[in-house]
Amino acid sequence: MKFDTIIIGGGLAGLICGIRLQKAGKKCAIVSAGQSAMHFSSGSFELLGRLPDGTETERPLEVLKQLPKEHPYSVIGEETVAEYAAMVPMFLEECGIKVSGSADKNSWRISPTGERKPAWLTLEEFVSLPDKDSKIGNKALIVNILGYLDFNTKFLADSFEKQGTECRIVSLKLDEMERLRKNPSEMRSTNIARVMDREEVWSKAIDQINSMIKDEDAIVLPAVFGLKDSAIIEKIRTRLGVKTYFIATMPPSVPGIRAQMRLKAEFEKCGGYFFLGDTVKGADYNEDGSIRSIETANFGNIRMYADDFVLASGSFFSKGLTATPFGIIEPVFGIDVKAEDSRDNWFDRYFWNKQNYISFGAVAKNGLHASKDGKTVWNLFLAGSIIGGYNALYEGCGGGTAIITALYAADEILKK
Amino acid sequence: MNMQERNISDNNFEQCIKCTVCTVYCPVVPVNPLYPGPKQAGPDGERLRLKKGLYFDDTLKYCLNCKRCEVACPSGVRIGDIIQSARIRFNTESPKLRDMVLANTDFMGSIATKVAPVVNMTLGMKPVKAIMDCTMKVDSHRTFPKYSQGTFERWYKKNVKNFQDSFPRHVSFFHGCFVNYNYPQLGKDLISVMNALGYGVHLLEKEKCCGVALISNGMIDKAKRNAGVNTESIRKSVYERQMPVIGTSSTCTFTLRDEYPHLLGVANHDVRDYIELATRFIYRLIDEGKVKLVFKKGYKARIAYHTPCHMEKLGWGIFSTELLRKIPGVELTTLDSNCCGIAGTYGFKKENYKVSQAIGKPLFDQIGKLKPDFVACDCETCKWQIEMSTGYQVKNPISILAEALDLISTSEANK
Amino acid sequence: MGHLKKDNEFDVIIVGGGITGAGTARDCALRGLKVLLIERHDLATGATGRNHGLLHSGARYAVTDRESAEECIKENMILRKIARHCVEETEGLFITLPEDDLEYQAKFVESCLAAGIRADVIDPKEALLMEPSANPDLIGAVKVPDGAVDPFRLTSANVIDAKLHGATVLVYHEVESLIKDGDTIKGVKVFDHTTKQTKEYYAPITVNAGGIWGQHIAQLAGARINMFPAKGALLIFGHRVNNVVINRCRKPANADILVPGDTICLIGTTSSRVPFEEVDNMYVTADEVDLLLQEGEKLAPKLASTRILRAYAGVRPLVATDDDPSGRNISRGIVLLDHETRDGIKGFISITGGKLMTYRLMAEWATDLVCRKLNVDKACETMEIPLPGSEKENIDEISKKTWSKPGTPHKAVVGRHGNRAGQISMSSEYDASLVCECESASVGEVRYAIEELDVHNLVDLRRRTRVGMGTCQGELCACRAAGMLAEAHKCTETAKQDLQSFINERWKGMYPVCWGDTLRESEYSQWIYSGVCGLTGEGSTEKI
Repeated sequence: MKFDTIIIGGGLAGLICGIRLQKAGKKCAIVSAGQSAMHFSSGSFELLGRLPDGTETERPLEVLKQLPKEHPYSVIGEETVAEYAAMVPMFLEECGIKVSGSADKNSWRISPTGERKPAWLTLEEFVSLPDKDSKIGNKALIVNILGYLDFNTKFLADSFEKQGTECRIVSLKLDEMERLRKNPSEMRSTNIARVMDREEVWSKAIDQINSMIKDEDAIVLPAVFGLKDSAIIEKIRTRLGVKTYFIATMPPSVPGIRAQMRLKAEFEKCGGYFFLGDTVKGADYNEDGSIRSIETANFGNIRMYADDFVLASGSFFSKGLTATPFGIIEPVFGIDVKAEDSRDNWFDRYFWNKQNYISFGAVAKNGLHASKDGKTVWNLFLAGSIIGGYNALYEGCGGGTAIITALYAADEILKK
Repeated sequence: MNMQERNISDNNFEQCIKCTVCTVYCPVVPVNPLYPGPKQAGPDGERLRLKKGLYFDDTLKYCLNCKRCEVACPSGVRIGDIIQSARIRFNTESPKLRDMVLANTDFMGSIATKVAPVVNMTLGMKPVKAIMDCTMKVDSHRTFPKYSQGTFERWYKKNVKNFQDSFPRHVSFFHGCFVNYNYPQLGKDLISVMNALGYGVHLLEKEKCCGVALISNGMIDKAKRNAGVNTESIRKSVYERQMPVIGTSSTCTFTLRDEYPHLLGVANHDVRDYIELATRFIYRLIDEGKVKLVFKKGYKARIAYHTPCHMEKLGWGIFSTELLRKIPGVELTTLDSNCCGIAGTYGFKKENYKVSQAIGKPLFDQIGKLKPDFVACDCETCKWQIEMSTGYQVKNPISILAEALDLISTSEANK
Repeated sequence: MGHLKKDNEFDVIIVGGGITGAGTARDCALRGLKVLLIERHDLATGATGRNHGLLHSGARYAVTDRESAEECIKENMILRKIARHCVEETEGLFITLPEDDLEYQAKFVESCLAAGIRADVIDPKEALLMEPSANPDLIGAVKVPDGAVDPFRLTSANVIDAKLHGATVLVYHEVESLIKDGDTIKGVKVFDHTTKQTKEYYAPITVNAGGIWGQHIAQLAGARINMFPAKGALLIFGHRVNNVVINRCRKPANADILVPGDTICLIGTTSSRVPFEEVDNMYVTADEVDLLLQEGEKLAPKLASTRILRAYAGVRPLVATDDDPSGRNISRGIVLLDHETRDGIKGFISITGGKLMTYRLMAEWATDLVCRKLNVDKACETMEIPLPGSEKENIDEISKKTWSKPGTPHKAVVGRHGNRAGQISMSSEYDASLVCECESASVGEVRYAIEELDVHNLVDLRRRTRVGMGTCQGELCACRAAGMLAEAHKCTETAKQDLQSFINERWKGMYPVCWGDTLRESEYSQWIYSGVCGLTGEGSTEKI
């Protein structure tokens, strides 16, 4: 089976890259071994929260030049990053994903435990605050669904109270939810959201909340609304009348899954092929070291051919990288990886310190090309967290690097 | 020293990193709160069951074995297999009469086809349905698939067997119980299409029911026996007669390839790659430039393709849809990936009827909105469920191909 | 002891909440004494919770230490009776590999029989049928009555029974000094880590059951005990590879025991001397991990491809005999010191040495001495009376009796709490919902642990319920449980700090073995806690 481009990995980077190429008229296939890390989204994409030395950044675009040369932003070039960053909100909007925020200045999202984290673009139900210590209101009503353990109301109240917001915690009891509770392990965000998506249920929830509001000027709700259709979020806001904050829950993330579904739908709408639950087993190469075709578990003896390949297979979690006691490898093509040899240098003994292993990844040459045995692979491009040389978690730049490297890789292919 | 380079565990259960993605895509969890969910029933429960069998929970029977959890899992855990193999190892309840009747599709079929009109009429009668409902716990809403008068095998031997050797190339056909007892027409369609492509179609030396219903109803010994017979016949076909094996049912094909080694412990690694779905087989021949299709002029159809769960797991929906897209005049929509809810015999059981229909609702709604001329699907039980629940006719892609192909010109082109 | 006492007056004060202290508290309480048990951290934090969890048959010591072997087999049989919910009767194998001396087997069997330990030489093929994961190259096998014991559960059950018999238990209370009157110890001055207050308690006898830290307690009394800390590292695997204990039939050496315990199995140990200053902070090195794996693979080749959950190390409290300050003659047996006769310090005794297996006997000896000193004439009954939770019946029977339709979570609760599971509310759907999915620990069980089992933080909770002990090492359950602790203890800030300490405590065991799926799991945890939640570890403390 022949495609113009085959993308390995169906997460944020793979989908963005695929949509970009597909819209430009390329025939693309995405091979994805299961669902992606978007299922654990925080609700925001980050561009850059701090520099590798720990300096916090308020205006990410202004400090790009201070990044080390192996950082994917540096490989792409600061000006190009800025251009892409400006274009992303529109790109997402076209995919049906509404976001707020700007690349010029970080805003602040509220985390599931009430912390404030720098954000670039924030999904529609969330409010990202202009300052780290912005108050959400004078009095907040924090509403949970009875028995839902993945929304920590106490932690949230504690952090809001530190900013001077008086908090009251209440629980909703809905007959429709009682059914879910019969299951000891599945009172989870997505299952709640499936029930909440029904108008008679969310409507009843809103009535209950309205009857509980006293003099609060802010309402805090878990982000378990609008799994399929985000339209209900606006309706809920209107019906409540009071400023409403949806807060991300512990995984799975309802807004993240919705965004993933939208991107996948957009990719398929543009004619792209998405192969879920398939894994690449091997590849064969042209004489110049470029990739000719790949073999997958499901396609078996029907090989998949393409002119270009994009590796967007993620880091360890998604098996884009594999760690053995003796080293780190990239398992699909065996391309060059930048990592420390000795296990002692992979970790810090203290969990909360910067962990080296997160910055391990594939070596990205100019144009985000991969290299194998030191030689550039001309038709293999890298996108997202498979790329090494930066610590997405520590620097707070996971979403930004994924989206921007994906767009850049797509444009490099289109330039050819 | 090969110390810790690879993590190997049964059905990869230890590769689970508790990310919970599987529970998001389980079709049962949102509609049946008694089911503990794939993560809990699968890798989580497995660690406890390895400690002692008594930790086995009989609510695992609510698993549809649709394998959607496996398709979604980013870690490659065979969650469905973990659950089914736990049922095989630990379930102590013996199957009820009803389950035996439903599971023994070939035995029941072989009796029913002999007296088909009577059986069909009887199964269709209201009082009989009521009795089935009360005594057998087969839901009265169900329309029983009609039994055909005379089996496919008999028709084949009488009408087409004698000239199959005259073709230049050959395949064996695993027809399955549905084609044999309920709907021989699909088998006939396959033979028309394959013959037109220059392939002689042969039956296996011995074919037993693939066993998917036996597995889900806990009749493992019989399933293993069937698996042994089928795999041996397939081996003979592949290695002695040099004929690969094709099927028209995604579930039978999936069972022959993957459930045999994973759940029944019947090794088939030497033949697995030679067992294929007919649509994939034909697609591959076209892709390799080995056959040509010539279509009738003026064939027009708006088709909605439903990907059966086991087809999702196989990852082969693409071959059926690409094949259908090759038909000029076909406007094809691939329906959203949803389980229809029937899951073989699951939906026939009275206790599952409601759940089964609730699972299928999003799919039925989408079909209703789309208003296609008919639905295409590679699975017979999905066909029953969709036809019963939506009123739309469901056709196997091979039957559609048989309708749309100019068989004579195609034969000419492939001589 | 009939006469009325003030609230801070007791018959006996026991210092140390390991298994020895807990067992002694129970024995003293059963003999009618008014008991105070003091522990500076949580119960079972020292060597008690950092070993194999092996219910020794004694076979391991048969050749080298006949006395220990005899003690082991006697206690082994007693624990099967009195602590059935803490014990798994798995049986054990001593296998001889091609590189081992098969002649050792004969000597081994002979010594076992002499010590009263059943030891059946079986055919290697039979051994493999009995335990399919054992090295198939084995050339000899001996079957012995080994088993598994859960030290946390055992300690907890002893404490519960002590409390049921009137004992007071104070965890997170650290002894600052001993109150002396001349040459008599009258009581203890303790610092309460929760309230940050100093309190005084009095009793005619104080028992030092501090394990390795007992050296320090003795110092406070003015006595000298020479402890020789020996570090032992172990690895925990993700699931049960074996259901029968596998030992190497050779002189005790590194990594020659593989024990199945609850949902996991563990291999150990290494043995190395460590300076006393390091006993509070044990790190497992990469070399130790590699050594354990190399040797472990020989017992069960599957270990080479089985996921490792974590590595940890404990410190054996070995005691040098009195006339040997150099430590060359180290005793592995029970050491009971009456400091009155030994050092002229009245009202103070030390019980140390020994091992998890012989805790009950240690407690009996110590309690006998306490009773003699207090002129109490009551015989020990701990070898007869079952511990709370172990009264009768098996898991299946208890589950069926307690709930109409027991599912896996119900049975898991019974597996952990035995007969006491009935006190755990699983009736409402809210109570039955799971906090920890890997180990099937429910809201009801967590609440029971917080209310009844002296749980102060998430690490304590883990020891009582296995929350966070499964493959994900607290990935999602930690946050849920932290929410419940915040609710119960009415202090959110502490709960949040506690959550961060707990995550770090789990990490401490993970990073030494962090590759493959364990690394994937860690990265996921990092994303959730550092990324999505944005926690930074602020305010977290390094805990054991």
